[in-house]
Amino acid sequence: MKDTKRVFRWFWAWNDEKQEAWLREMAREGWHLREPGAFGFYTFEQGAPRNVVYRLDFKTAGKDRAEYLQLFADAGWEHVGEAGGWQYFRTDAPEGAVPEIYTDKASKVHKYQRIFFFLVIFLPIFSVTLNNVGRGSSTAMKVISLFLGLLILLYAYAMVRIFLRILQLRR
Amino acid sequence: MGKKEDVAKHLPVSEATYYIMSMLVEPMHGYGVMQQVEEETDGAITIGPGTLYGAFSTLEKQGLIEMVRKEGRRKVYALTNQGEAVLRRQIERLQMMVRRGEQVLGRISDSARES
Repeated sequence: MKDTKRVFRWFWAWNDEKQEAWLREMAREGWHLREPGAFGFYTFEQGAPRNVVYRLDFKTAGKDRAEYLQLFADAGWEHVGEAGGWQYFRTDAPEGAVPEIYTDKASKVHKYQRIFFFLVIFLPIFSVTLNNVGRGSSTAMKVISLFLGLLILLYAYAMVRIFLRILQLRR
Repeated sequence: MGKKEDVAKHLPVSEATYYIMSMLVEPMHGYGVMQQVEEETDGAITIGPGTLYGAFSTLEKQGLIEMVRKEGRRKVYALTNQGEAVLRRQIERLQMMVRRGEQVLGRISDSARES
C-alpha cells in the first residue's frame, strides 16, 4: 500500500495555471495527484519524484467523453481525474519543452469562454432563489438569503476575473 | 459545392484549422491529424489535444467536416463538400499572399543592392 495524504488547498477558477504549477511542484517532491476532489481536497500518492506537467481543461459531461479522453491519451496525456467540470491531465515533461493541451491563442480563449458561460448559466438560478427566499422574514431565511447574496457576488466577481483573463489572452 | 458567400464567412481560417482541414482531404482520426501535422511541418507546428478537440467540434458544427466512421473510441473525420470549397478558397488566398510576399522580397533585395 502506497503512502497517501489528503491536502486542502483552495484555488479560484481564474487561477488554474497556479494550480497546475502547484501540482507540478508536488510531483517534484514525490507527491503525485491521485484524485482531485471537489472543494479543494486533493489526494496525493507518494512515489519517486517526477518531472511532470499538469494541465487543466474545462469540460462538463458530454456524450463524447470517451472520444475526448481517448484523444488526450493518444497524445500522451494521462487523465488523472475530474472535479466540478475540471479535467486533470498529466504528462512527462521532456527536457527543454513544455507540453501543452492548447497550442494556440484562439482555443485557449475558448476554454475560458466555456467557463464563463458555465457561470452565466448558474447566476440566474441563484438570483431567482434569492428573490424567493428573500421574501421570508424568519432568521433562517435571512441567513440563507445573505449566503445566497454572497454567492451571487462571488459568481459575478469570478465572471469579471475570467472575462479579464480572456481580454489578456487576446491582447 | 458551397455558395460563394457561405464560403467567405469562414475565411480566413486559423493556422491550426488550416492544417487540420488540409489533412482531412483523406479520412483521418484526431491522433492521426496531430501526428501528420507535426511530421509534415518538421515539428514547427504542433497541435495539442485540447486545440484539436475544439477545432473538430467547431468544424463539425459548421458543417465543414463530418464523421465518416468510428474506430473503437476514435472518430474518423473527413472534409464535406463545403469544407473542401472553404479549403480551396483559403489556399487561393494564401497563394495570393505568397505572390505578394515574393514581390516585396524582390524589391527589398533590389534596394539593398543599390545602396
